[in-house]
Amino acid sequence: METVLQRLTLAIVRKPRNLRWLLRMLTIVGMVAALAAPAIGSAADAPRRPNIVVILGDDLGFADMGSFGSEIKTPNLDSLATAGVRFTHFYTHASCSPTRSLLLSGVDTHLNGMGNMDEWTAPNQRGVDGYEGVLNNRVVTLPQLLKDAGYHTYMVGKWHMGKAPSQIPAARGFERDFSLLDGAGSYWDMTNLSAASPQSVFTEDGRYLTRLPKDYYATKTYTDKLIEFIDANRGDGKPFFAYVSHQAPHDPFHLPQEWRSRHVGEYDKGWDAVRQERLKRQIELGIVPAGTQLAERMWFLPDPVVLAPASRAILGKKMELYAGMVENLDFHVGRLVDHLKKIGEYENTVFIVFGDNGAEGNDLFAMITGSPGSRDFLFAAIKWSQTHPNAWGDPGSYVSYGPMWAQVSMTPFSQYKGWLGEGGIRNALIVSGPAVKRPKGSVNHGLMHVADLMPTLLEIAGAGYPKTYEGRELPPLFGTSWGRVLAGQAESPRTEQDYLAWEIFGNRALLQGDWKLRWEYRSFGKGQWELFNLAADPAERKDLAAERPDKVGALAALWDSYVRTNNVILPSRSVFETLEDNLPMRVPVDPGYPPLLYKRQFVPPKEMLADPKP
Amino acid sequence: MKPVAWLRLVFATMLAIGVLCPPQALAQVPARFYWKTLENANAVPLIVESLSGNTNPFDPAHTVTPGAHFEATLALPGYARTFSLFDRAAVAAILLPMGRVSGDVTVGGRTFNQSADGFGDPTLEFDINVLGPKAQKNIPDVLRYEPGFSVDLLADLMVPIGEYDSSQPLNIGQNRWYGRLGMPIVWQLGPWVPERRTTLEFLPAVWLFGPNDNFVGKTLKTDPMFQVDAHLTRDFTETFWGALDAAWYTGGQASIDGVQGEKLNNLGLGLTLGYQMNENLNLTFGYMSTLNDNAPGDLRMNKFMVSFVYGWHPMVEGMRRLKGDK
Repeated sequence: METVLQRLTLAIVRKPRNLRWLLRMLTIVGMVAALAAPAIGSAADAPRRPNIVVILGDDLGFADMGSFGSEIKTPNLDSLATAGVRFTHFYTHASCSPTRSLLLSGVDTHLNGMGNMDEWTAPNQRGVDGYEGVLNNRVVTLPQLLKDAGYHTYMVGKWHMGKAPSQIPAARGFERDFSLLDGAGSYWDMTNLSAASPQSVFTEDGRYLTRLPKDYYATKTYTDKLIEFIDANRGDGKPFFAYVSHQAPHDPFHLPQEWRSRHVGEYDKGWDAVRQERLKRQIELGIVPAGTQLAERMWFLPDPVVLAPASRAILGKKMELYAGMVENLDFHVGRLVDHLKKIGEYENTVFIVFGDNGAEGNDLFAMITGSPGSRDFLFAAIKWSQTHPNAWGDPGSYVSYGPMWAQVSMTPFSQYKGWLGEGGIRNALIVSGPAVKRPKGSVNHGLMHVADLMPTLLEIAGAGYPKTYEGRELPPLFGTSWGRVLAGQAESPRTEQDYLAWEIFGNRALLQGDWKLRWEYRSFGKGQWELFNLAADPAERKDLAAERPDKVGALAALWDSYVRTNNVILPSRSVFETLEDNLPMRVPVDPGYPPLLYKRQFVPPKEMLADPKP
Repeated sequence: MKPVAWLRLVFATMLAIGVLCPPQALAQVPARFYWKTLENANAVPLIVESLSGNTNPFDPAHTVTPGAHFEATLALPGYARTFSLFDRAAVAAILLPMGRVSGDVTVGGRTFNQSADGFGDPTLEFDINVLGPKAQKNIPDVLRYEPGFSVDLLADLMVPIGEYDSSQPLNIGQNRWYGRLGMPIVWQLGPWVPERRTTLEFLPAVWLFGPNDNFVGKTLKTDPMFQVDAHLTRDFTETFWGALDAAWYTGGQASIDGVQGEKLNNLGLGLTLGYQMNENLNLTFGYMSTLNDNAPGDLRMNKFMVSFVYGWHPMVEGMRRLKGDK
């Protein structure tokens, strides 16, 4: 067209005698324009399918974003919340790879291969379908279906669902990827945690990497790579699905120096005080209802009030680093969002943000390396011995923040990652973008589940979940689409009769309406069914099993049904099987008890003071 | 690392780093002298030095005696205490030099020998930080200490009560008031992690000398002497470190009854190795020698130094007792 116009202009300027040719050309251009106009108009009017960006924070807690009550500064994530909706009753699984398998398959973990984590497959689960420890081939993945539906599919970050060539992101539907296949490892290099598996495995676009790019830092590099992927296909008219599976803020808390000192001394006040502050903000923000009580501090944790300032400073420094990790994550999310704005894709992108499970209160490093004289202890001595707090964050350091701060991250709930208390499975969820018709910045309390993402995102993409895929019959979806909820036509995708259920490491739970049935290893649980009313007691402080045997019976029957439907095989061995022997006896935590430790110095009335008589 | 273990490491470093060292010998304190620690910490140093050269090592003016050769052995016990003043870290210290010195002076083919022994002039020292981290008033402050770029103000005063024999020029006491004003600088290079700490340290200072009105019956005067010490220090492990040391002197021109001597303009180089033996005790070994010192009027001196510094803080000792470590 430009060439024709140039020629026309030249013809007018140079050659009046070419008038007849000029008229012919004008006629042709006019006809072409007349034919093209409707087509151009219809392309502009047709709704473009939105891009989809799923941002997963690894071990990011319910209360760790500013928009969910945190003092941690997350302006970029909060701006997504302001532009979209916050969901307060969203469930994941209690640990990372099971959640990821639910996200990408939409199928229950006991059917999709993650009936147990690969790291903890029990003897009686070996060789059983659904317990492969990887995302098995009986399921189809969300990126496979979205790719078939005309989406570009990108993944960056942690995979943790299989390392073999048939199990890696490229084999499971991602066109482009830069992935850490392991569940954890250094943010700076390829160092991993155990002597048996000393090196992290990465893939890029389906090839196993021999080394990492220059200036590698996980959160930064993942973001850089995703921006590259998006730009590489920009302009071809296809929307994209990006799975941004950040490693952060999973331990070890590795982060650049400039991110380590943004909260110096801020957490010396201790975990109880920070939890109370977060709860206050959560009530103000409408995340939890007024009157919500904090979960009991775990009985084996000290009241920070009775700790020496030095202990609080050291333990507080761990939380300072964690906060830096979250803020660094937020910064790189901001880079991605800014880039999408710059290239004009932001407005047509659905963002979904959440953490993959409860915050991490277990000591993974001690689990692996804690026995002096062991092979892993020696490995850690060589690779992970930067224990001085001033080295925390550097390569070779391994810092996690312990159960006290995990409870803060999970304010107001009880327990944390690995467990089925609300603190292990409930997470913050933000959804924003063109699919959301609810008021901007609103808060919703509908019952949501990570497995809902498969039907929800397929619906957003204009696709559906097939009954078969490549000749295989597919297992049924566990989740329900959020379409009506996002459209503002419903408050929850579930009815009061619908239930959710979990089982991992032998711990199990079932939720129906306000009622939650829970069985956990002692001493976190009782080794028997406990019953909680989450509407009245979201912090699971009061076991109502003895008062409501009828409810226990009804929910237990649903549990049996869930077990049968999903081939749940309780593990014969569990990571938590000896926990009770390693923890102090469980006792109630009553503030101010014992007075022996809390009673302040008696100060007599001044007028009654006297020197001793001679 | 468990919190308590980390605390112990911090205290070990805090108490055992050189809190005191002798300003006399080559007029230089060792590297890492001006690192800061918790207020109300205590230290007792014992520095033992063996020196030789053409100047009396007990005389910080380094008045050169051409053709002379002195040998000295000295010990400097002392006491130092840290405190905070106006929210800044400060240290006050006292040192008492003692030892013996002997020398041969060859003049016109004849050799004269002199010697002296006993106590030298006590040194009072005061140092306060003016730029850098605030005083460490509690353990969290200690945990978070990093010097960054720190500048102190330093004042030394030597009290002329040491052994002095006015019938001979070679003495341990100097029979005059003298002192030093300085500005110690610690510049942290890189992370502040034991095993990786690196610092560049400077001490520009001026020495001021009162007159000695009875220097073998004459009056000895010395002009101000300017001095710059420099150290590049580096950890080798958490408990073992080393330093390259340099010292430069200029000025300090002495006159005896108005007869002028030479101005100093000398450079010394040396090295120091430090080892933290346990939570309380630190050991350093150092050597320094002057350069370009062949001319008769040049300052020529070399020294070996071994120092032990025992540091303690009541809280740390109490914690250890409670843990049954003693």
